[in-house]
Amino acid sequence: MSWIRPLSPEVEEPVDVLGGKAYGLAVLQRLGLPVPAGFVIGTEACRAFLRQGRLPDGLDDELAAAVAQLEDATCRKLGGSPRPLAVSVRSGARESMPGMMTTVLNLGLGTTATSALAAETGDIRFALESRLEFVSSFAAATTDLDAQTIEAVVRQATGTEVADARTRLSVAIRAVEDAFAQRTGRPVPDDATEQLGMALAAVFSSWDTPRAKTYRELHAIPADLGTAVIVQAMVFGNRDDHSGSGVAFTRNPDTGEPTPFGEVLFRRQGDDVVSGRSSTRPLSKLADREPDVWASLLDAFDRVEKYHRDACYLEFTFEAGQLWLLQVRPGRFVGTAAVRLATDLVDEGVIARQEALLRVSPLHLQRVHTRRLAVDGADLLTRGLGACPGVAIGRVATTSDRAARMAADGPVILVRPETSPLDMHGIAAAAGIVTARGGPASHAAVVARAMGKPAVVGAANLTVTDDLVRAGGRTIPAGTVIAVDGTSGDVVMGSPRTTTTATDPHLHRLLGWADEVSGDTSVRPEPQRLAAAHAALLGR
Amino acid sequence: MTHPGSTSSTGADFLVLHALRCVGFTGLARVAAATGLSEPDVESELIDLAVAGHVSHTAGDFGGWGLTEAGRAADARRVADELDSAGTRASVVDAFERFLVLNPELLDLCTAWQLRPVDGMLTANDHTSPGYDARVLDRFVDFDRRAEVVCADLSRALPRFGRYRVRLANALARARAGELDYLTDSMESYHIVWFQLHEDLLATLDIPR
Repeated sequence: MSWIRPLSPEVEEPVDVLGGKAYGLAVLQRLGLPVPAGFVIGTEACRAFLRQGRLPDGLDDELAAAVAQLEDATCRKLGGSPRPLAVSVRSGARESMPGMMTTVLNLGLGTTATSALAAETGDIRFALESRLEFVSSFAAATTDLDAQTIEAVVRQATGTEVADARTRLSVAIRAVEDAFAQRTGRPVPDDATEQLGMALAAVFSSWDTPRAKTYRELHAIPADLGTAVIVQAMVFGNRDDHSGSGVAFTRNPDTGEPTPFGEVLFRRQGDDVVSGRSSTRPLSKLADREPDVWASLLDAFDRVEKYHRDACYLEFTFEAGQLWLLQVRPGRFVGTAAVRLATDLVDEGVIARQEALLRVSPLHLQRVHTRRLAVDGADLLTRGLGACPGVAIGRVATTSDRAARMAADGPVILVRPETSPLDMHGIAAAAGIVTARGGPASHAAVVARAMGKPAVVGAANLTVTDDLVRAGGRTIPAGTVIAVDGTSGDVVMGSPRTTTTATDPHLHRLLGWADEVSGDTSVRPEPQRLAAAHAALLGR
Repeated sequence: MTHPGSTSSTGADFLVLHALRCVGFTGLARVAAATGLSEPDVESELIDLAVAGHVSHTAGDFGGWGLTEAGRAADARRVADELDSAGTRASVVDAFERFLVLNPELLDLCTAWQLRPVDGMLTANDHTSPGYDARVLDRFVDFDRRAEVVCADLSRALPRFGRYRVRLANALARARAGELDYLTDSMESYHIVWFQLHEDLLATLDIPR
């Protein structure tokens, strides 16, 4: 084989060829951790595709051989019957480009394979749900329909139906199939080999979308790397009540504390977690509901941290009580979290003091002094993504008009499902912003940063109706005092204590080590103290 | 009074009414910017609209003009009538779909303008790195070339959309001339105009947000 490598602990190619994701999967395998069987189409094939505008010669044959091997390994047949194999087709470039590239899940679930999956599991709802995920992700990858439009198509088709789950799913599948046919003038292919070829071409093409180009330009990623493609046997987070998926940091990425942190979705596939489309549960719920999966996950945390000598980020799925790991990379902690992590790793004997000093950028110390909510004893209402750092405390307003009116009597927190241009006067009047939907690049986030207002977006399980805000099983009326931490994404009740990390004992220790290294104990700004230590250590 | 992107068939009263629908609660200056009308003309239209019960004025620090429920309903009717008589719904839908493809990229660009990666950490862009700012601005210019095509199609379908092209081009030109807040921060910035265009497309096609 020349274009394709099996996903195995023995794979020797560098990250340039395998891409970061596949490289990480091989590491997991070497650590003896559970990774679904699969293979990698290297970045050379992507570059050839982008040069020639078609899949390179010889790839078809290699693909057929690799699929046959995967079928043997899993005792299943891609798109076949009675034991159907479904695969995920994921991009994985050398540098991660989050949200830029294409993924197709449950590929192989044509009509026959879907029926076979229903018969095999005795669960038609599960089979149809999986088929819907396939046609949706396939349509998003291979046509100009985006995920949002496809969701709207599904909502429109099923919106008025009050039928059972099975009928609803069938209607939804047909609606997406129709949308696909309308765009392409042909039906969703039923043949798994054809599906795979189209999905591959789509992932390769996604390297060169204008959005991906812009991302690379901004992050100084070379334009000619291309992406690898990882094809793996599907593990189904939506299989049963003992299934689900999640993302996890081995330690808290906001504070650096040695407590696992992340999100989990029960009975759902992984794409739902990463896309932010669904409301997730805190990772700790896994410990209660699936203690065996939790124990396996903690074991994995331990092994990947030892390997990377760093906090790590993982993506995982569990199917019928069995844990599978789908991605790992170092955690890339910054600011306060980097300081805490570095000093803890010294105490744990993992790294030396000199290395701890080098792991924290002097520039990050500026961020350390942003005002934060004190974590202890805070009464958490909901949590989202911190979109603009700082703390704001004020009374809840649920519309922009009310926020503008209430602001005359003191600080207001504007709480909205999402914001639009119609909310500009409310955002201007508010001290802080919370939205239920949206990510770090959403309208609310962009405007909040423009105005320097602490903001939390994508707050979990938050609904806003009239004068009421519901979150975390509680309902609070407009006018209730809440606090927003735009760094951690925490939204808490009342006006809790806030800190700036001037008093942070971990920072104090780290800077003490820095002064020892530089031999300079004069009074100067913290970034300078750390920079002096860096200079001494690096011989500059 | 003539203004780019309007036609004699699009009355000034409708332009002002619809500007409030897309801009939200605001003052004279922003309605003038959105419509291309002078502030006195805008004020005159607003007074007539207030008499008709379509808009109302609120005093105070965060005060300004806003639509009433009746005004919102009136705007929805006029938008629907306008689209029906133009017979260009299909073109507007098509342009809206292409707008949605561009939208996440524009948000990426706005984020990149506001936050700069420093040693792997996103920090507020203090505009002390001319090289970084130039890269982002270049991408805005490249983006704008693609946005222009969509805007041109929209103007052909409904001439009042032509005003967005004028405002986007103006914001970009000012940013390139060194007025850094014209990409994401000022009230007439590229980002704000783009978002009013988004709101306008949703209103025009009667799609709930």
